[in-house]
Amino acid sequence: MTLSTKSFEIFCGTGGVGKTTLATSRAIHLAEQNLKVLLITIDPAKRLKDLLGLGANSLGEVVPVEIDGTPLHALLMSPEKTIQRMARKFNTPDLENNRIVQILSKPYGGMNEILSMVEVQMQFDTGQYDVIVLDTPPGAHFLDFLESLNKIRNFFDQNFVEIFTYLGQKTAKAGKKVFGAGLINRVISGGVRKLLGYLQAVTGAQFIDDFIQAVQVIYQSREAFLKGLALQDKLKSREQCNWFLVTSVEQGKAQEAVEIRSHAAHFIHQDHFLVLNKCLESDLAPWNPTDHHLIEIKDSLQKREQELKKQLKALFPYVLEFPEIISLSPSDHLKHLTEKWKTYVISN
Amino acid sequence: MNNPHRLYIFTGKGGVGKSTLSKAFVRYLMEHDHEVVYLTFQNQSLGEIHKGSSDKFVNGIRELSLDLEDSARNYIEKKLNSKLIAGWIVKTPFFRALINMVPGFNYLIYLGKVLDMQNDNPRLIVVLDAPASGHALTMVESTTNFKQIFESGIIFEDTGKMLSRLNNPDYTKIHVITLPSLMAWQEAVELKAGLSERTPVTIDITVNNCLYPLLEKDLTELPLGLKQKTINEKQLVEENRSQMLCVLQHSLKQDPMEIETDLVGSLSKLI
Repeated sequence: MTLSTKSFEIFCGTGGVGKTTLATSRAIHLAEQNLKVLLITIDPAKRLKDLLGLGANSLGEVVPVEIDGTPLHALLMSPEKTIQRMARKFNTPDLENNRIVQILSKPYGGMNEILSMVEVQMQFDTGQYDVIVLDTPPGAHFLDFLESLNKIRNFFDQNFVEIFTYLGQKTAKAGKKVFGAGLINRVISGGVRKLLGYLQAVTGAQFIDDFIQAVQVIYQSREAFLKGLALQDKLKSREQCNWFLVTSVEQGKAQEAVEIRSHAAHFIHQDHFLVLNKCLESDLAPWNPTDHHLIEIKDSLQKREQELKKQLKALFPYVLEFPEIISLSPSDHLKHLTEKWKTYVISN
Repeated sequence: MNNPHRLYIFTGKGGVGKSTLSKAFVRYLMEHDHEVVYLTFQNQSLGEIHKGSSDKFVNGIRELSLDLEDSARNYIEKKLNSKLIAGWIVKTPFFRALINMVPGFNYLIYLGKVLDMQNDNPRLIVVLDAPASGHALTMVESTTNFKQIFESGIIFEDTGKMLSRLNNPDYTKIHVITLPSLMAWQEAVELKAGLSERTPVTIDITVNNCLYPLLEKDLTELPLGLKQKTINEKQLVEENRSQMLCVLQHSLKQDPMEIETDLVGSLSKLI
């Protein structure tokens, strides 16, 4: 088992499988090796949030936490705060003032994925951390997450940039504010005018003006977005990133793993680990019920888990098994999971 | 049987048995002579290889699978009455950027398609298996956001119509599906609270896959972990029973179809 320490560790999974708790335990485990660790998380359950000291005030801010004497940094993503940080860092104040950007960077506005990439890159650039552990956006398994990278790329698509560069020049010449209402009818010629005419019918004229403005300000911050895009290469590199795909026995759907694996084929390097959480095997194996009803239950639970493991092992180079932790306390969960990570040897 | 709603949204994190449960619910409605379609869609983006939409019967259930590019083109085609222009618009970098940057826009297109289908067939009930990624919050929020973003135009008008139906308690009902563990339960309660802030429709929590009803009689016979799990599950359910619409027992079957059939009889409350 090769589980060396990398600059990035990404936890993906459909959620509800203990992904955030596992990512947190991994961060603690790494911090115990005296590494400087930043844990970026998106949507933890309230009790885990409390445990990490991530209250409402610290939303979107890096906070130092100490768990059982182990210090690390944690950040609860806030798209809004990331936009503000970008605006400051890249000196593009329009970004945080644009109406459309504001709506889209609401917590469920839909820019979470892109912004988390940008955030990871900005945090990496601070040079403070040995490892950044990223718990990916709610539910998005790692394909959706990677898709976000293509979204950035599409956004800065060549043609698109040309249109807006063209518009930008026209308005700059006219000496007006970036784009005024009615701009489209004024400055666009030929085919583009016709096309935007149809678009207007669909989206409304005001929207097109607004959207162009939003695109302009986002385009001004393209350095930040493109840096996020460059991160893709680091994440693809075996030397720099470990990928953990988390699923659980409860989920019991080998089909999903098959799909994920086939999507991942074009992207992923050898160091991706399937994490199978909530295994009951160690509890079930030594159990010898005599009652017929209980035998049936044991067989059913065991068979399901074994089938799943068999299928997953055929698909993934590494399957890491974690037991179901039967405790009501999140700190117990973390303690047990952190212990379990120790059994997966780090070879540097 | 009560009058059913027209749109049922099943949401919850992945791995809670959402698909199995929503398909079982489709079967339940079918058994009561309703015309139902099971709808699912992926969180795809424009520009990837698109698989095309499909509408076919799978194991006796009418399954509709929507493709983003098809749906977007259809939608615009209907609005502008031109296939050519619709194809053109969907291919523009502007439109692609709009859709790809903003995953919530997908939902708008998909929901538009659903409402169109229901206009064409007033008897049709849609059971929507919402994607685990970005769960229902994004979906509900995106319609509101887009109404704020677009101030005029076809999409604006449609968004208004969509919102009024999505937010109509007679039309839409949301089921949050979760598991009987404390963490999962708390997340479901938080999700319900988040949804309630955004829509006035009924939102109910169903707890799936409970082992304790099978095991609680034999506590002393159980291995330590399973015993504690049984006790915890039971305690969780008893303490929060009033907030749970439906508590469903774990099925010992291995085959997903058989699990579905096992569930059908327990779903009358979900109507």
